[in-house]
Amino acid sequence: MTDLLQLILSALSLGSTYALVALGFVLVLNATNAVNFAQGEMVVAGGFLAVALSPLIDLPGVALLPLVMLGTAALGLLLSLAAYLPLRTRPPTAVFISTIAFGIIVQNAVLALSGPEPATASALVAAGSTRLGEMAIGWQSLSMIATAAVLVALMHLLLERTQLGRRLRASAQDPEIARASGIPVVRLIVVAFALAGALAGAAGLLVANQFFLSPADGANYMLKAYIAVVIGGWGRVWGAVLGALLIALFESFVASLAGHLAADALLYVALLAVLLLRPTGILGEAVGRRA
Amino acid sequence: MHTFLFRTILAAMLALAASAGGIAAARAESAATIPVLAPLTGFLALEGASQRNGALLAFHHHPSIVIRSETVDTGTSPEGAVNAFARILRTGPPTALVAPMLGTQMLALLPAAAEAGVPLVTVSGTAEITERGNPWVFRFFPGDAVVKTAQARYTVEELGRRRVALVHQTTAYGQSGRRHLLAAFAGLGAEVVFEEALAPAVRDMAPVLTKLRAARPDVLVLQLHAEPTARLIRQAAALGLGLPIVAGSAMHQPATAALLEPAELSGVCAESGASPISGGSPAMDRWVADYRARFRTEPDAFALAQYDGVSMVLRAVRAGAASGAEVRRRLASEVYEGLAMAYRSDGRGNMAHDAVILCYDGRDRTPRVVRRYVDVLKNG
Repeated sequence: MTDLLQLILSALSLGSTYALVALGFVLVLNATNAVNFAQGEMVVAGGFLAVALSPLIDLPGVALLPLVMLGTAALGLLLSLAAYLPLRTRPPTAVFISTIAFGIIVQNAVLALSGPEPATASALVAAGSTRLGEMAIGWQSLSMIATAAVLVALMHLLLERTQLGRRLRASAQDPEIARASGIPVVRLIVVAFALAGALAGAAGLLVANQFFLSPADGANYMLKAYIAVVIGGWGRVWGAVLGALLIALFESFVASLAGHLAADALLYVALLAVLLLRPTGILGEAVGRRA
Repeated sequence: MHTFLFRTILAAMLALAASAGGIAAARAESAATIPVLAPLTGFLALEGASQRNGALLAFHHHPSIVIRSETVDTGTSPEGAVNAFARILRTGPPTALVAPMLGTQMLALLPAAAEAGVPLVTVSGTAEITERGNPWVFRFFPGDAVVKTAQARYTVEELGRRRVALVHQTTAYGQSGRRHLLAAFAGLGAEVVFEEALAPAVRDMAPVLTKLRAARPDVLVLQLHAEPTARLIRQAAALGLGLPIVAGSAMHQPATAALLEPAELSGVCAESGASPISGGSPAMDRWVADYRARFRTEPDAFALAQYDGVSMVLRAVRAGAASGAEVRRRLASEVYEGLAMAYRSDGRGNMAHDAVILCYDGRDRTPRVVRRYVDVLKNG
């Protein structure tokens, strides 16, 4: 039982960061109908920004969160201006390639600025762990889950309860009608990229302490976000969060039963099964055209 | 008298001119083309940067030799290394090649190097690169046959542990280390009660840690790259695993230790060819200081081994070796007293035969050398 709880805690801490990455991925997907392949590198950029800020600000990692999110939001804004808006009338493959290129530029910029060494940032609240019976509960794992939950809740409020959120949803559902109704669709696209960048940056800060970060880690996070969105439902905001948590739990439990190699392979078998048996994902598809 | 003086001065000037000409000729002869191929991006970027730095520092310390060199990032794919080598060959075969430390890239390069007659000077630990009968490969970091034997012997003979949990990487490095560790533990009468392979991208170590705990081992032995080593040690500490850990050479790297808190390193040991930052001699201390000043980072055993390897090549060049074949002959037959150890080929290109075990005391991130194994395979 202790081991089971330990696995759940660990999986949720990693899954909660996958959820933030996937959430940002869906925001851009809904706003543009295009896949942002630079989302993984945004995680790396956020993590390394946190690593750079950690020695300058003698505060727990959570205090860096606003700065990191602002920094990667600015990077998201740059991404939209450089890699999306100039190409938005071109075929979707042009945007795929331009976001991949932007991601590679970010990765190499991080490599040039920080070097190849893996890095770690300050713990979010506190390092170490406490014991509950035989179970060791890491403060970092708990604070990762809590921070991600707060950010997801704030995103929910933003999308559901604010004018900005309503406009974002309206332009995602039908950009032409939204434009005809006077909604500044292009500006909202830029906002979506900035929000996605902020969420990815937060994920980078969250993982940088317990799981470390290297400049080349972005592809792994991007892949997890993509799978989460496919499993949860293409274009579904809550589907992305659900898919991310399911991936982390699936990997953790299968790895504990059959090993990590089997978990890796079976995750893709599960993905294929979802595509074959329920191609719209668990919560159904929100965007008509799948990338 | 004047005539005698004049003749003497003239003779001296001629002798000086001849000697200057000789020096110039010697300088002209002491030239070499030594490209550096190293994985500078991807999961082995940290080790690849050390390899590159070691080679560049050796170039810098041999100013009397004209060295033509370029550094090429091979990434982590075999074709990245082969393509880079093919491009280098277009301008003629180099005198020697600093070859990437990634085992899969080395295996891909071996046939091409033999065909072109280029000695490969590397610090790859993958055992197989010197097991294919290729006379052009020279490995200056002790291979797995050496360091894994030392790792297993320290675990069993010094720590007295006999129930081993082994976690290794899925890469060629991990597989090679696994093979040698299993053989060494079997030879020492220790039982491997748990074994699992991890891809370098695995983040969550809780599944493997909870499983291995259930197997009730008395020691955890690792054969992982740098970042996964640190990740597993951090998560093991958070879970309160409470087992001594004897890690592979990735743990000795200062950048790996820098990821962890000193307390998390308590009870952690690692094998390596050397540990420059642990000191040992005034020459080593000077080398460490020079490395820090030049690269603004801490040196590791990979950098030191590559430095020694390139220095041995440059000694051969200075002694008159001008072609790949001549350098190969000298590397294969001579003994070189490097900073880390004495190097000589075992006939298959394994140049390094000593290993050290380092341990952290939990108070800081500088390991102490606790055991030195000299000529491991010969001395048993």
